[in-house]
Amino acid sequence: MEYVSPEGLRLDGRRPMEMRQLRAEIGTVAKANGSAVFEMGNTKVIAAVYGPREVQNRSQQINDQALVRCEYSMANFSTGDRMRKPKGDRRSTEISLVIRQTMEACILTHLMPRSQIDIFVQVLQADGGTRSACINAATLALADAGIPMRDIVTSCSAGYLNSTPLLDLNYIEDSAGGPDVTVGILPKLDKVTLLQMDAKLPVDIFETVMGLAIEGCKAIANYIREVLLENTKQLEYRRGL
Amino acid sequence: MEEADEMVTPGEVLGKATDLKAGKGAYAASHNNTIYASLTGFRRIQAPPPASNDKRPTVEVTGHKAHGPVPEPGSVVIARVTKVMARTASADIMCVGPKSVREKFTGIIRQQDVRATEIDKVDMHLSFRPGDIVRAVVLSLGDARAYYLSTAKNELGVVSAESSAGATMVPISWTEMQCPLTGQIELRKVAKVVN
Repeated sequence: MEYVSPEGLRLDGRRPMEMRQLRAEIGTVAKANGSAVFEMGNTKVIAAVYGPREVQNRSQQINDQALVRCEYSMANFSTGDRMRKPKGDRRSTEISLVIRQTMEACILTHLMPRSQIDIFVQVLQADGGTRSACINAATLALADAGIPMRDIVTSCSAGYLNSTPLLDLNYIEDSAGGPDVTVGILPKLDKVTLLQMDAKLPVDIFETVMGLAIEGCKAIANYIREVLLENTKQLEYRRGL
Repeated sequence: MEEADEMVTPGEVLGKATDLKAGKGAYAASHNNTIYASLTGFRRIQAPPPASNDKRPTVEVTGHKAHGPVPEPGSVVIARVTKVMARTASADIMCVGPKSVREKFTGIIRQQDVRATEIDKVDMHLSFRPGDIVRAVVLSLGDARAYYLSTAKNELGVVSAESSAGATMVPISWTEMQCPLTGQIELRKVAKVVN
């Protein structure tokens, strides 16, 4: 199938190096300590953070750092074919683990010993790149909750179809079966916290694809910083300062 | 000296560790001696206390979310008694100083901490009842379950209590409270409320 037309346009009309439109909103769950909705095109994810709070299960308590927990789920209505999936299937446990490890790498857990931080992410609309969207939403929610972090983590995916590196795959491109590289970085520290690829790719091409994904991450980081600063400004304004 | 300037987000460089000290909301990375922000908020620089020999000013980031207060030894708390046993009474802490708590903290008042004198003759059931509002001081962090509280001071003890008739009672001495409806006298460890 042709994923990039001779004119250099993708199926949804984007250029190969173009990202989908980003939108983020902070403070969408009133009861949570921090929350955010993050959209990348038609992918929409909501994240809520609770904590740092007392550890619920004492046997899991860690004496010198905080326990980070993460739960990923997909709303039944998030995909085209409505499916009733059991909670905790292989895919969602794997993504929960990935998000947990990525967030744990950036949270300053040693500042909050004997406490726990819960991150809940739910996919409201799935159109490819849910993993990255979830990480970006979780970052925003953590920042909103005021949890100390080394840096914000941002994530973006890139693929390689029709001998072209493509940034931010959507669902159709994702299900084409080509390589899909998901990268998570700490943009200011220039460190990679997540790198996943479920295909084979020659090293030189892999490097360009990964470089593209990192560029995407940096663009998302700029957007997230803008959103955070705008949110803080709004709050200060409302407080009358 | 305190100056507030720009807003920062987590991961932004605040300065070099050689000329600044990391305060709240900031951390120092040891590998490149740089101070980064760890919260979203305003960057503030505070001059070092004159007594210290470290002359570096402290940089901190004040976030927009205030964390709930946490009881610590020595703080005065307001608690509601939930259960009275022969040797202890347990209470839920509601306020730390003037601030209400966000989470649930439980405290225990032991028999020897109820009053300052004749501590071996204390009868817990004649000092507290479930539902009483008590002002107490936090003795220690206690065990894993509860803080240890003490009411062994004149100004500490029951500040508000309901009688069995359901009315808020009036204190008449440091051990007695009277119901305004029935005139019945109940025994409590009453706090001397000074305004």
